[in-house]
Amino acid sequence: MTIYLKKFGTLLNGRMFGKEAFAAFLPSLKDVSADEKIEVDFDGVEVFSPSWGDEFLGSLINKFGERVVLINTSNPSVKTTLRFLENINKTKFKRGS
Amino acid sequence: MFMDNGLITIQKASRMLGVAEQTMRRWDESGRLIAVRGKNNYRYYKKEDIEEYAKNNLKDIFKSVKNWVLSGTGVEPRPDFYCKDSAVFQARLTRLKDELSKIKNLKDTYFLITSIAGEIGDNSFAHNFGNWPDIMGIFFAYDLKKKKIVLADRGQGMLKTLRKVKPELNNDIDALRTGFTEVISGRSPESRGNGLKYVREMVISNEIRLFFQTGEAELKIQKGDLNLNIKKSSTKFHGCLALIQF
Repeated sequence: MTIYLKKFGTLLNGRMFGKEAFAAFLPSLKDVSADEKIEVDFDGVEVFSPSWGDEFLGSLINKFGERVVLINTSNPSVKTTLRFLENINKTKFKRGS
Repeated sequence: MFMDNGLITIQKASRMLGVAEQTMRRWDESGRLIAVRGKNNYRYYKKEDIEEYAKNNLKDIFKSVKNWVLSGTGVEPRPDFYCKDSAVFQARLTRLKDELSKIKNLKDTYFLITSIAGEIGDNSFAHNFGNWPDIMGIFFAYDLKKKKIVLADRGQGMLKTLRKVKPELNNDIDALRTGFTEVISGRSPESRGNGLKYVREMVISNEIRLFFQTGEAELKIQKGDLNLNIKKSSTKFHGCLALIQF
């Protein structure tokens, strides 16, 4: 399954909005099979802030762990925030091509 | 404070503009901003006139926001600066992002400036949700010609919110340092909270300057600052105030 973040907006900001986005998307995740990869596609995202990212990605990774793969992360805002979240949470996100 | 005929008192008008009532009287006498006289001979103003005046006389948004947080009695900011809830803030932040993205020399940093403002504003809403002492929401304004963005809330302030998870915090200075350096959240038991750490990292590695005050503690950060320059302020208020310059 691929989650296209731009469908949540091009400016992803706010802890509450990150939480709401995950809650709203949760029903779509119920049919994911046990070994299916969850791709998070950042294409089209203009501003990606840590509060939104922490809530959304944090919840997704809590649920699916290593199966979560981030793709199209070359936008500078996305790169900067992902690096920050990795440092602060002492973790490393799995990135695809 | 609203009269039946749609007029507002000089007190309310002066707060909306962030000036003293005496200044309003002087402006009336000089014809700069004319009041309407009531039967009691008191001065009243049309709310639209005050809003129009404010729009056309945007001199110093930092002074306006500071007057707003320092005012003893809370009053809602003028409508175009007022984000009552996070949905309004999100919409105005999007507008700021769009306007910043059109500025030629900001094409590599506009997203950072947007996310810094976003994190600071989001913090105000996240930590005061359901607990606003007087005025709910934030004052959010910018002057792109002067390259300034201001955000402020009349919320509980960092000391009160952070004490919920770190009761040993003694004063605003300690709270401000904690907020900008430690991964901690005032919304216990949730262990997250990193917005201000992100803000600090982005400011010290880019051509951005930040002034931040909460209670009676303030800090200034700019590119290359490795240490936090925190000191006691000459003013005190509940809530938080930020000035971003770029």
